[in-house]
Amino acid sequence: MQVTTREHLTAWLDGLAGHLTLIAPKTVEQRVLYRPVADSSEIAFDFARTDLPVKEHFLPPTHVLLSIEKGKEGVRLGEPSPERERVVFGLRPCDARALRVLDALFLKEPADPYYAERREKTTLVGLACREMGETCFCTSLGLAPDEAGDVDVMLTEMEEGGGEGERGRGREGGRRYAVQVMTEKGAAILGVLNLEKVEGTLPVPPAGSKTPVLEAGAWPRLFDHAYWARLADRCLSCRLCTYVCPTCRCFDVRDYEVPCEGASSGGASNGSAPGGRIERLRAWDSCMAEGYRRIAGGHNPRLTKGDRLRNRLYCKFCYYPQDYGPVACVGCGRCIAMCPVNVDVVEVLADVATL
Amino acid sequence: MTTDYEPRIVGFLCRWCSYPGADLAGTSRLTYPPALRTIRVPCSGRVDPLFVLKAFQEGADGVMVLGCHPGDCHYMEGNYHARRRYALMHRLLEYVGIEKERLLVAWVSAAEGRRFAQVTTEFTTQVQELGPWGGMEGRGGEGENGGGK
Amino acid sequence: MGEGSELIDKIRAKARELLQGGRVDCFIGYEEGSRGRARPAFIYDPQDAERLIWDERCAHNLVTYLHQFKSPLRRGEEPPRVGILVKPCDSRSLNILFREEQIERERVYVVGVTCDGVRTNGRPQERCRRCAERVPLVYDIVMGGVPNVLGRDDYADVTKLEQMSPRERLAFWTKEFDRCIRCYACRQACPACYCFECVAEQLDPAWMGIAIDLPQKQFFHAMRAYHLAGRCSGCSACEEACPMGIPLSLLNRKVAREVEALFGYKAGQDAETPPPLATFKKEEQLPM
Repeated sequence: MQVTTREHLTAWLDGLAGHLTLIAPKTVEQRVLYRPVADSSEIAFDFARTDLPVKEHFLPPTHVLLSIEKGKEGVRLGEPSPERERVVFGLRPCDARALRVLDALFLKEPADPYYAERREKTTLVGLACREMGETCFCTSLGLAPDEAGDVDVMLTEMEEGGGEGERGRGREGGRRYAVQVMTEKGAAILGVLNLEKVEGTLPVPPAGSKTPVLEAGAWPRLFDHAYWARLADRCLSCRLCTYVCPTCRCFDVRDYEVPCEGASSGGASNGSAPGGRIERLRAWDSCMAEGYRRIAGGHNPRLTKGDRLRNRLYCKFCYYPQDYGPVACVGCGRCIAMCPVNVDVVEVLADVATL
Repeated sequence: MTTDYEPRIVGFLCRWCSYPGADLAGTSRLTYPPALRTIRVPCSGRVDPLFVLKAFQEGADGVMVLGCHPGDCHYMEGNYHARRRYALMHRLLEYVGIEKERLLVAWVSAAEGRRFAQVTTEFTTQVQELGPWGGMEGRGGEGENGGGK
Repeated sequence: MGEGSELIDKIRAKARELLQGGRVDCFIGYEEGSRGRARPAFIYDPQDAERLIWDERCAHNLVTYLHQFKSPLRRGEEPPRVGILVKPCDSRSLNILFREEQIERERVYVVGVTCDGVRTNGRPQERCRRCAERVPLVYDIVMGGVPNVLGRDDYADVTKLEQMSPRERLAFWTKEFDRCIRCYACRQACPACYCFECVAEQLDPAWMGIAIDLPQKQFFHAMRAYHLAGRCSGCSACEEACPMGIPLSLLNRKVAREVEALFGYKAGQDAETPPPLATFKKEEQLPM
């Protein structure tokens, strides 16, 4: 088994940040989010689970697909600049598995080039979970809190040097992590990280609950059950659950005129005049929004909250696995923690098993 | 904050008073800075604060809402509503970080060509001195919320 | 607060009575949720009234659910009549909806309950410290003991923000809105946000567009705060619903304070006084 220390890790991370984009958990006003960091001092090493999943770095909330410029020479299409090489540090196994779930759709031929490029240019350094969070249920979905198969390098904090409690400053640097190199990409990124070979085994992962998850084929017969409408009575029909979910991925694409750059250009703000530019934006959208499925002519097949909530759960546990393979839920529990009205997918799964 | 720039001012002028007032300024050959882009509306009461915010979003450095003098509104009450709305809007804009001096609400009648030119000139100077309204950072970069070009 | 389990029994009995007697088709209250949380409950059957609870975890503003009962439950029927449990803050929202004719007074049976404050995860909510009303302002029946506590909003946090320079304030809101993901939980939780099509989602014209970026987020929050002028009851449902902990009450209370200073109006005190932005005084002199 190979181990390293916190001190060596931070030196290595500082080195990485120097020549590529380092994305790591960062405390932002009482929330922990995966953010680009300038150096290791900005990293929150002790965190349970980030409040937003890592998907925002692979499917950004908003990004430009292409731009259309009209100049004297005619119309020119502009493509976004190539992505930088990136390392995501501190990726929890649930978020890492979520990327595999998204791969099943976005890398399926024809692959989404924007997602594919980000996936290819990112090395994933995982951090195994020492504890199960209050809303975590990854184990119910066949995942493990120390699952290493979805990352390029997996770090597991060792018992004796670890723990989430108060520690003296000097001892922080001595905290030890087991290092598992899972892929060639992972081996390549390790570079000068100081590793020591020791005897021993990886820490035992925390035990998790086992809520029964109905397999995909068993959901259709429950479609007309009155349960869904009753469950959705309290749903606010916001988009919170879909946005904090690591596997939800629906988006909208629209073109917008960009106002003239710079106040001193003096040109018209009208995009159709020479110098105007149109950008094609892709942004997060949500099936929970009332108008999401409204079609031309005004018909809305998912008019009620019950229809939409049922659809969201079916998409995750029935349709996605049937169409693409994996269940579109990794048991991270963010939706449970953050839903203002306590729509609890674990409770729903338990209920569904009895319907 | 640079003051060496060409400010862009959006003006919502009411069809019955301030717009003809601007027109009179023109026919009287009064000069005022060319920063103003006018949008004619039926009444100052038509000007939804949504338009004001949208103007700032689209690159305006200052916004003017000009209407009839209170009591003279062609639709009787429109400018009374505008008066209340914009008294409030000034304070809200200031609070979210848009200086209240970037929004001017004034009453200019159809006969007040000179006043129109004066108001516009003073406001343009004021906005010039405030510097461009850069707005909140737009899209771009992985930096803030993961959005990227 | 109140008489504990005795009060809960009274609430259940009332709900049961209203449902059995056909006075209401649905009673909206609170029930035990998962993981020690309380959550909104919708009771259609008198025997389910047993599910109702009442304690300091019952923080949600249930008035927002009245909007989903405006249409008939089944085709050809009248819109349903609804019973609802309201705290004093919720009752202000109710007055606002009555005033705006969003729901008929006769179709709602209001069970008011006195309140000494609610908690989230055991932590008292800030808004309760500021709350001056402990007895609901509108009700058909009121339950609960005499409240012990009376709060006051001194707007200290609003004043602090006002005293910053414009640049500092811009930096403050930039920092806060950076975390916003435009999930609209704030809007959906709010009883006063009931537009069929919100300007934020309108595509033609695209006021805000679909981009989840700072300019659009600032626009959305400023517009929502403005649209709530004279209509926000200060219930803080928005702030509690926000997954990113954005201090929305700091924005809405500023507007409420200005409305009171400029027009002498406080939202939700009754269902009769005309809203301040729908009226005017010809002679008023307002600082422009």
